[in-house]
Amino acid sequence: MANYYNIDDILAEEEFVPVVFHKAANGVVIDPSSETNSVEQGAKVELPLWLAQELYLRQAISISVPACFSQRTRLEIQADAACVDLKSRSPYFYEFGCKIAPLVGDKTIEILLLSAFKIRYKEILTKAYTAVFTTTSKFLTLLTKEETNLYEAAQASMAAFKKWRMGGPRLQRASVLGRKRKPLD
Amino acid sequence: MASSAGEWSAEQIDDYETLISTTDVELLKKAWRNEKASPEILPFEEALVKRAKEQIQLMEETVDDFEESGHDPLIVSLYQMDLDRVQFLLRSYLRVRLQKIEKFMFYIWKTDMYRNRLSIEEEKFTERCIRDMGKHLEETVLSKMPDNYQSVLKQSVISEEDDMVPEPQLDTFVVAKCERTTRPLYLDGSRQSAGFNSRQVAIRTLFTV
Amino acid sequence: MAGQSDPHISLFSAEEVEFMAEDELIEIVPNLRMDPLNFICGDFGPFLPQIATQVPFWLAVALKKRGKCAIRPPQWMSVENLTQVLERERESQGAFQVLPFHYVEISRLLFDHARDDIPDMYMVRSLIEDIRDVRIHKVETSLEKFSGTSAVKIPNLSAMEVNIIRPFVGRALQAFYKHDNPEKIPDVDRASSAQTRAANNEPRMIMAEEFYNYIQVSKRFFFFFWFAAATEEITNHFQPASDEGTSVLLETLFGESYLVPFSL
Repeated sequence: MANYYNIDDILAEEEFVPVVFHKAANGVVIDPSSETNSVEQGAKVELPLWLAQELYLRQAISISVPACFSQRTRLEIQADAACVDLKSRSPYFYEFGCKIAPLVGDKTIEILLLSAFKIRYKEILTKAYTAVFTTTSKFLTLLTKEETNLYEAAQASMAAFKKWRMGGPRLQRASVLGRKRKPLD
Repeated sequence: MASSAGEWSAEQIDDYETLISTTDVELLKKAWRNEKASPEILPFEEALVKRAKEQIQLMEETVDDFEESGHDPLIVSLYQMDLDRVQFLLRSYLRVRLQKIEKFMFYIWKTDMYRNRLSIEEEKFTERCIRDMGKHLEETVLSKMPDNYQSVLKQSVISEEDDMVPEPQLDTFVVAKCERTTRPLYLDGSRQSAGFNSRQVAIRTLFTV
Repeated sequence: MAGQSDPHISLFSAEEVEFMAEDELIEIVPNLRMDPLNFICGDFGPFLPQIATQVPFWLAVALKKRGKCAIRPPQWMSVENLTQVLERERESQGAFQVLPFHYVEISRLLFDHARDDIPDMYMVRSLIEDIRDVRIHKVETSLEKFSGTSAVKIPNLSAMEVNIIRPFVGRALQAFYKHDNPEKIPDVDRASSAQTRAANNEPRMIMAEEFYNYIQVSKRFFFFFWFAAATEEITNHFQPASDEGTSVLLETLFGESYLVPFSL
């Protein structure tokens, strides 16, 4: 796992997915409101993706398409992708989508992600480089984590360039630099 | 061999001239730039670093001599600036390699291809890094896990591969500047064979010389 | 190691780009007599009053600061030439005019240190700023046309311009690449083959002990919370809503002794 310690990757697996238990599970509290410490066969619960994935591999559960990829969201994205509040659907909309697609066997999720990103990418691009902050603050609340990263990457490099152009304090000479180099051994 | 100029194309002569006129500073700058921009660790430029170190030492001695012999302070300061610039390059080069080692230490250590790219000092550094990081993880987390989950490389004993080791992402995008026109490279579909180390060219600011 | 993807290793700061530009050569006219300088980066000089010679920018600036030379601005830096470049830059929507690779850095160095050597300095400066603005705007427009591709070619882009868009473009292309190549996403095959493998020894009921199988997934969480606790990330990432469910689960999986880091 190349990005084992990547926080965003971990959090994307935190997202909940609706599952149906094919087998009963004993001795675990999956549903905090239930009085017994077991799960019935056929019980419908929500599990975080990381757990659902493992249970799915053991054919203990089946996974359905999570709410954030519902038909309604798809229609909204088709209508005007740039205005959809993806963050509230899932801050890891894309990553979560990529991970869930093979598990639910739904190839249309991938197509949805790409078409949404294509349109939203343009929006982020124009907002990042040209628009004033006040007009973008509302737009920013709609962005997923990766989209925000993208926006911030653009903003930060532009800001760094402007700062450089204006001058101001030049590179400070580190105190060790003037010193004599010591022999290696 | 009568008309030797005829056997060389203009491009080859250009190449040759750039080759002999290229200083180690240029090479070092190139090495630093490439190292910084590539996701994986590149082969250590041993000969180049050695030469650069020697030149730095020589220049330090020269500057000292100048200072002692009461040379024009202007000239001394100019030599000092040249020295500072080369040292900056060398340090930046070595530093960016250390950063990569810190980031991918376990991966570099277990992959021969990458391990062979390290200098002797870097190997020592990696070994110590791994020891310290391993000890740290062991003490803070791993020793508190159930027996089968105490590996620093594998999530559990049933893991088939080292699934806890961060790896450099090779199928990423790099920005490259072409130094001369190249034959067309087919990046789409035949990614591996394009001679780009399965990495891709994001922006090629075409710059023909 | 803590694994928060750190893009900074691979990014150049504006100052680093400037450093590289300082090795470009420029013509100066010294007003002093000085022997040749045999630097590590090359030999320069001899320096004779009123005799023009080529030196790297950093040396030119150093001499200029001490009043030892005049810098001859490069030929392209004339009002005439720049006016033309600006005009053509505005006319052609797609293409970029040929300018020195380091024109942004070079012009800034000259404006900062050699104002008196540049004829029509204010005019030149505003022309260069206009050119740069037009070009950056053009880059943005050309970026808008991206929609999933494996290589992008922009001829004649300068060092600083590339550097400005590099972080954004890199990320964006990666996202396109990921979504455009569904086969790049792992688990598709693994999921189904592993599922058949696991199905062979099918248990009728899942017992509590079996959940220990899932610890390997949770071990990652454990590390995450432990790393996160050490940083401010926790405040950004910690979401009580989703945490509640997880901590209940983890409690059952790990037992009390493992719960401590999760109840932050």
